[in-house]
Amino acid sequence: MEQSGTSTRLQAAVQDLASGVVSVLRDGDHTRAVLPAGTAEAGDLALAAVRVLGADAVLPGLLSGATSDPAEVAVFRKAVEAYPPRSDAAPTVRWSHWGMARALRRLDPNSSSGPPDEPDTRWLDDASWQTLTHQLAVLAPLALPGESCAVSRLAARRPVDVARGFVRAVRRRDWRQAAGAGRWLTLLPGVPDTLGLESGLDFVELMGGQDPMVTLQVRAARLTRTGTLV
Amino acid sequence: MRPDENVIEELTALRSTDLDAALDPAETEGVYRDSRECAALAAVAGGGAALLSPPTPRPKKG
Repeated sequence: MEQSGTSTRLQAAVQDLASGVVSVLRDGDHTRAVLPAGTAEAGDLALAAVRVLGADAVLPGLLSGATSDPAEVAVFRKAVEAYPPRSDAAPTVRWSHWGMARALRRLDPNSSSGPPDEPDTRWLDDASWQTLTHQLAVLAPLALPGESCAVSRLAARRPVDVARGFVRAVRRRDWRQAAGAGRWLTLLPGVPDTLGLESGLDFVELMGGQDPMVTLQVRAARLTRTGTLV
Repeated sequence: MRPDENVIEELTALRSTDLDAALDPAETEGVYRDSRECAALAAVAGGGAALLSPPTPRPKKG
């Protein structure tokens, strides 16, 4: 399908933003701002890119627990407020927005807004392992250590299905899906040792590492796995 | 507003369909890896893991 000009520009902006997050995760310099300097400078495209990257746009701060730059938090908040899910939005759109709201509360405990209500997970109740893995990979920003939600609890009940989906994604050369599934697997109990997750993540990075969206997920997975937070 | 400014505005205006597509992407078309990549995975993993097994051979006709 042919992509629109704005779609291409949005994808480029998301890739740039993901590269910035990867750079901070790699260097461990969580004081360095990833998001545009202030709400005034953050144009529509930049804000939309933050919305698409979701909670991962502030992943270094979430993993390190360090105090975030107020200007960065303001941009993140603006993206959350500018793109609420529509009433007919897909479940992944609702959940990614919920993940951002949760992240915002973590970054700004003084936030006046209360805990957001979780969307439901009915659409995943009878999902095949292929669909489950695809949807979880899309929602990889929800895979954070020490954070529970209905999606993570559902994933924890199906570790073998996610492992199977990871292998399928590798075999299909869907590196983004493989990286997202791999990130979830680092958090799930009961993942078969025979999966070879660590080697698999190495391979995913080797093959798909030119895509910052892949590198971001693999790096998040490794940081989660080793417990070495930024 | 100059005509070129109109064009720029059109190009930069974000369409909600673009955002929805980015937030709820369909699964990409699968391309199964070839034997050379299986070998690369074997080299990375060192052997023994489930991922290393090459695609199941299909029965030959005839």
